[in-house]
Amino acid sequence: MSGGKLFGAVSPLQTIELVQQDLFPSTSNVPTTNDINAYAYLVTILHHSRVSDSHKAFIRNGVQWLNEESIKMYKKTYMQLLSQERQNVLKNIAKYRWGENWIDTILTYIFEAMLGDPIYGGNKNQAGWKWLHHKGGNPRPTKALV
Amino acid sequence: MKYDVCIIGSGAGGAPIAYELSNAGFHVVVLEKGNHYREEDFSKDELAVSRRDMFTPLLKEEQHIINERNKDGSITRYEGSEYDWSFWNGSMVGGSSNLMSGFFHRMKPNDFRLKSVYGEIKGANVVDWPISYEDLEPYYAKVEKIIGVSGVVTKHKFAEPRSSLEFPYPALEVNGVTKWFDASCKILGFESIHTPRAILSQGALGRSGCSYSNFCGSYGCATGAKGSASAALLQKCKAKIVPEAFVYKLQSDATKIISAHYYDKDLKSHAIEARIFVVAAQAIESSRLLLNSKNKYFPNGIANNNGQVGKNLIFSAGGVGEGRFHFDSLTKTQQEELMQPGLFLNRSLQDWYEYKDADKSYKGGTIDFLFEHANIISRAKREFYDANGNIMWGTALQKKIHKTLTTSRVLTFEVFNDWLPTDYCNVSVDKKLQDKYGVPVGVINLYGHPHDLKVGSFLAEKAKKVLENMGAKEISASISASPPPNLVAGGCRFANDARNSVLDVNCKAHELDNLYVTDASFMPTGGSVPYTWTIYANSFRVADHIVKKL
Repeated sequence: MSGGKLFGAVSPLQTIELVQQDLFPSTSNVPTTNDINAYAYLVTILHHSRVSDSHKAFIRNGVQWLNEESIKMYKKTYMQLLSQERQNVLKNIAKYRWGENWIDTILTYIFEAMLGDPIYGGNKNQAGWKWLHHKGGNPRPTKALV
Repeated sequence: MKYDVCIIGSGAGGAPIAYELSNAGFHVVVLEKGNHYREEDFSKDELAVSRRDMFTPLLKEEQHIINERNKDGSITRYEGSEYDWSFWNGSMVGGSSNLMSGFFHRMKPNDFRLKSVYGEIKGANVVDWPISYEDLEPYYAKVEKIIGVSGVVTKHKFAEPRSSLEFPYPALEVNGVTKWFDASCKILGFESIHTPRAILSQGALGRSGCSYSNFCGSYGCATGAKGSASAALLQKCKAKIVPEAFVYKLQSDATKIISAHYYDKDLKSHAIEARIFVVAAQAIESSRLLLNSKNKYFPNGIANNNGQVGKNLIFSAGGVGEGRFHFDSLTKTQQEELMQPGLFLNRSLQDWYEYKDADKSYKGGTIDFLFEHANIISRAKREFYDANGNIMWGTALQKKIHKTLTTSRVLTFEVFNDWLPTDYCNVSVDKKLQDKYGVPVGVINLYGHPHDLKVGSFLAEKAKKVLENMGAKEISASISASPPPNLVAGGCRFANDARNSVLDVNCKAHELDNLYVTDASFMPTGGSVPYTWTIYANSFRVADHIVKKL
């Protein structure tokens, strides 16, 4: 997925899915964002009963600000950029306070998906825990809190 | 129905009253704001417990105002929901005792006479307690037996007198690193203390022993080994427990409480009548309830005609520190010892519970050592930034996290010293902001006395020496005036003089005949240890008094 979509025809969530892959690329012996359902997990967070509305708005607004930076740098939206260009945009927004916080937030939910209990849908077969040699605590939850 | 005793709050302050009074044959009702969880409801779900804070209220529904006092005397006001600043602990049957780590230390005899022994400190409202260590000792001993304290009694220069030789329950198993700690203390001339824990190492008291799940503090205990107020007391008595009951007002006449009014989960109001009322809703919330319960007899709030409710709020001063052990400086055997999951370190230092500086004696404190929490998400998150503080991502971040989490482990320490009571640290209620029940929210006016930082920093330097000797790297400490929300006390001091306190020596309100406050609110000073053991012990002491009174 390296772009080609028209601005406006792309949902913020599709952009976030691409950002997730850019922040946590597919690497040998490491679970991928696809393996851990990072996108679906973020959608859960955006509807979570215990995540504040202002935090949800920050996640969504960050996409708009990301695209504004992307257009400023390359006159294209983030999803229309090549891989290296997208990395340059991420490096640029990381210089801003909002950008650093937004990247931290997106990364946090990637790691929550990968290292949370498998009942949440990520961390399939405890792949994330196995990667970091972690043993989950017992008893495990029987119901996800959403 | 009119109960003999109505208790508001089911944690370490309320549950001993419920246990003792109901077992003595009295009709007791406990009103608890939170849900009723039992052992089978507790799991090690990091996302729910630690990331989504499932055991505390949503801040958009219930919050505090925090007024921070700046160096120039100005105040900065924070709304908890806006700044994600929470002072809630465990809103649940058994309260935050469900989530404690159970590091149990008694206060020392000198903690009860801080002013007499160490003198006044400018700007601090230090006073002696109206009771002595000897008065409370039998109840510390009672807690050991009923709540279940395990460990090995260590003789050291500040060891408090005990009425029994040993703890009633054998010590928990310890990690191999514990012997590294002991060896370093020996070299340094420090006295390594076996940390007593409110955790049963073996089945006893109708409860199971510890399963060494590796997820203890912050989590509810699924075996009942942890001495929570729920597992150890409320499940062992016939007191009626009403969960999801938020008490918003106490109704009184001139001399006694008549009824407690609460909202259920559907916001329906109910009233409970009783002969005696015991408030134990956690220090901040207990003061808030009294301040919000105004009537013509008490226009400034129940038991507050002397203007003392909410005053002299204290926390535990001190802070935290850590050091990291890397595989590359360890033998294979040491690496295996380091990474043993589940087992505890269980070591403390109290060598400087009192110390001298320029020939003057100062009150010092306690240092507990423990492994970094096993929560894997928070451990991964702390690796997001490079040495220069820049955020990382991509394969560089993946490699950093993998290397750090699989070939090193952090040993942490927690410093506990007195948070000096002052005129600037107290609880009030807000004039405008209300919670979801339509009740004015509590205001926490924060101020830490500079002396607290001095003592905390002194102790942290000692702790760092141990880590250094053990071979840890990246050693650091953070001592600040930031209040730990789970270590809060004061607001309704007990004393003999009604002019400068809320409660009498039995924790009964001076101004009312049938109102008691038995959470940590009563404490004029906090000692230099975690509060829970003292809260339990004092509540058992007050229970004896109430039994005699009834």
